[in-house]
Amino acid sequence: MARVIRSSAVTLAIGYVLFGFAALVLFAAPLRYAWQATVEDFRVELLQEDSQRFAEVFRLRGPAGLSDFIHERVSMQIAGERILLLTDSALHPLAGNLPAWPSGVPDKPGSYTVPLDLGGQRTMVSVVRTVLPGGYNLLVGRDVERFAPLERRFWSGLAAAVAVLSVAGLLGGILIRRALLARIHSIQQTVAAIMRGDLSHRLPVRSSHDELETLSQTINRMLEQIEQLVHGVANVSNAIAHDLRTPLAELRSRLEELSLTRPPTAETFAEIDAAVADVDNVIRIFNALLRLAEIDAGMRRSGFVDVDMADLAAKAVDFYLPAAELRNVSVSFRDPGSVLVRGDRVLLAQAVNNLLDNALKYVSEGGRIAVEVLRGQDDTIGIVVADDGPGIPDAEKPKAAQRFYRGDASRGTPGVGLGLSLVEAVAKLHGGTLELADNHPGLRVQMTVQRGAQPVPAEKPRIEAAYPSIISSSARTSTASS
Amino acid sequence: MKVLLVEDNERVARFITKGLQESGHTTDHAGNGRDGLFLAASERYDAIIMDRMLPGNIDGLAIIEALRKSGNHTPILILSALGDVDERINGLRAGGDDYLTKPFAFGELLARLDALTRRGRQDVTQTTLEVGDLKMDLLSRKVTRGGRAVQLQPREFKLLEYLMRHAGQVVTRTMLLENVWDYHFDPQTNVVDVHISKLRQKIDAESEHSLLKTVRNAGYMISAEAALEPSD
Repeated sequence: MARVIRSSAVTLAIGYVLFGFAALVLFAAPLRYAWQATVEDFRVELLQEDSQRFAEVFRLRGPAGLSDFIHERVSMQIAGERILLLTDSALHPLAGNLPAWPSGVPDKPGSYTVPLDLGGQRTMVSVVRTVLPGGYNLLVGRDVERFAPLERRFWSGLAAAVAVLSVAGLLGGILIRRALLARIHSIQQTVAAIMRGDLSHRLPVRSSHDELETLSQTINRMLEQIEQLVHGVANVSNAIAHDLRTPLAELRSRLEELSLTRPPTAETFAEIDAAVADVDNVIRIFNALLRLAEIDAGMRRSGFVDVDMADLAAKAVDFYLPAAELRNVSVSFRDPGSVLVRGDRVLLAQAVNNLLDNALKYVSEGGRIAVEVLRGQDDTIGIVVADDGPGIPDAEKPKAAQRFYRGDASRGTPGVGLGLSLVEAVAKLHGGTLELADNHPGLRVQMTVQRGAQPVPAEKPRIEAAYPSIISSSARTSTASS
Repeated sequence: MKVLLVEDNERVARFITKGLQESGHTTDHAGNGRDGLFLAASERYDAIIMDRMLPGNIDGLAIIEALRKSGNHTPILILSALGDVDERINGLRAGGDDYLTKPFAFGELLARLDALTRRGRQDVTQTTLEVGDLKMDLLSRKVTRGGRAVQLQPREFKLLEYLMRHAGQVVTRTMLLENVWDYHFDPQTNVVDVHISKLRQKIDAESEHSLLKTVRNAGYMISAEAALEPSD
């Protein structure tokens, strides 16, 4: 029972029923008042008219004449004048249908409602008391009870309305509660399934667009995101486990071999150095992951400053130029003048460097890399790094930014497969995206970032700063040292 | 030089102490923040290596702040497993002079310590730098080797200037990245090596002995001496 009372649907239904009652009372009360006032006034008016007529008879024919007239009326049982009484100044009845002067009538002329014994029944009666010349008292009255059936009908009607309202309200409450409970139950079941670990469940959504559906849809969208996040985390965990296992296995076998074979000192030291390098590689992966986690948590937004993306990209090109030169790779650079972005300088620099690092890694000897800073629409800035390397097949492109993804082309090249993940995370942190496209041949990677809130910088003339293409045949032919 | 090491991990402390000893430095070791603060306040040290997460939930930064407030300006190298950029900024803001994230290579620690202790002695007003027959004029931005002019691009000039300001000291790749390029991240590939080899080509090409040396497992050093190992 307590459960029924606590149910929000029942509470709601009871509330509505009570509200209905209040509405009924508010509707009936003035109605009854108006009805009563109108009827009462009308009745008193009639009685007063009667009284005046009797007074007129008294004036013309004297007390005896009026007595006779009243006798006549009473004996004829004229409708509407149920009570008639004429008394002398000492209130002794002279004529009329009352045996004695009623005690409840005040001692002054006027209209009153008083209780009277009529045919053995005590009823309320409207009376008008008139004092005639010579101290004669005249009482003219009508039975109020004549209207009682009407009043009774009014009250029973009201009672019926209340009853119907209560029944309908409670019934409605129960039905609503049942429907609501059914839906909540289905939501509960779904949530229970999700809590057991199966994130693929979704709340049932019907075509109706009520509040519960809207809520269900919102929750479903939330579940969608949670599922993606959880899968993302699971994928990353698996990838980490896999990618750390490789260098750790290498390290372990190296150390074990050292322990077993006990080679001469010089060789031992070489092996130890190699082991340290293995550890450094593991540390590098960890650092990259920690950085990614830091970005994903969005913690760094607080430290945003104005960053000139053109300057940042130019510096990155400058940084990689000697390494490119070494492999006869030409690097061209174009920017639209300084472009300010509200962002994290360290992360943006790292992202741009990663793009260049990637391009340089995959481009072949004598290839070309084109770097361009674009002023995009919707207040965005694009950094494009295009190369003429092997590129990434279309089917692989969506996967390229996944953590630890390493395409076929990357086999044998240094790296841990986190470069593009970081670029994408940085772009997202700055409200932007990372897009991979074909460069026919090669790969064209574009990182887009929102410029963010910042004072509008003075528009600089459009400058095309092209770095001299470096195709120096005199450059050494050795590959980039690593 | 005399170094105070505040580090609660025995193994790490032994590793650092031994390494510093081999490089000719004496080390006092404090295993907790209280001893560390006491030693730092009562003795005179050339440098302090300060761990951050110390026993009893004490942050090394609190000790640094206390020291700085009491007017102690000993160079401090913060050593911490907290590697976020923000943590770095906190460390430097608290009064640390440099920040090194664990795990670290000993060469990196030693090079940074060297750079810290020598920074005080440097003459900021000098207009020329000299290492052997290599001369750099900071005003006219001209470089000569044995009287012969060496043409350098702006970035190469900056790189050489940093190396020459730390002549005789080991300078690590990370130090170069941070101070020459202002990059506070690991660019994965060793692009710095390429810059160095290009610079070396320009300054050492036509001379019989090389000034710009590679120090194994640590970084680079510019010095007129023939010895490959750091003299310190």
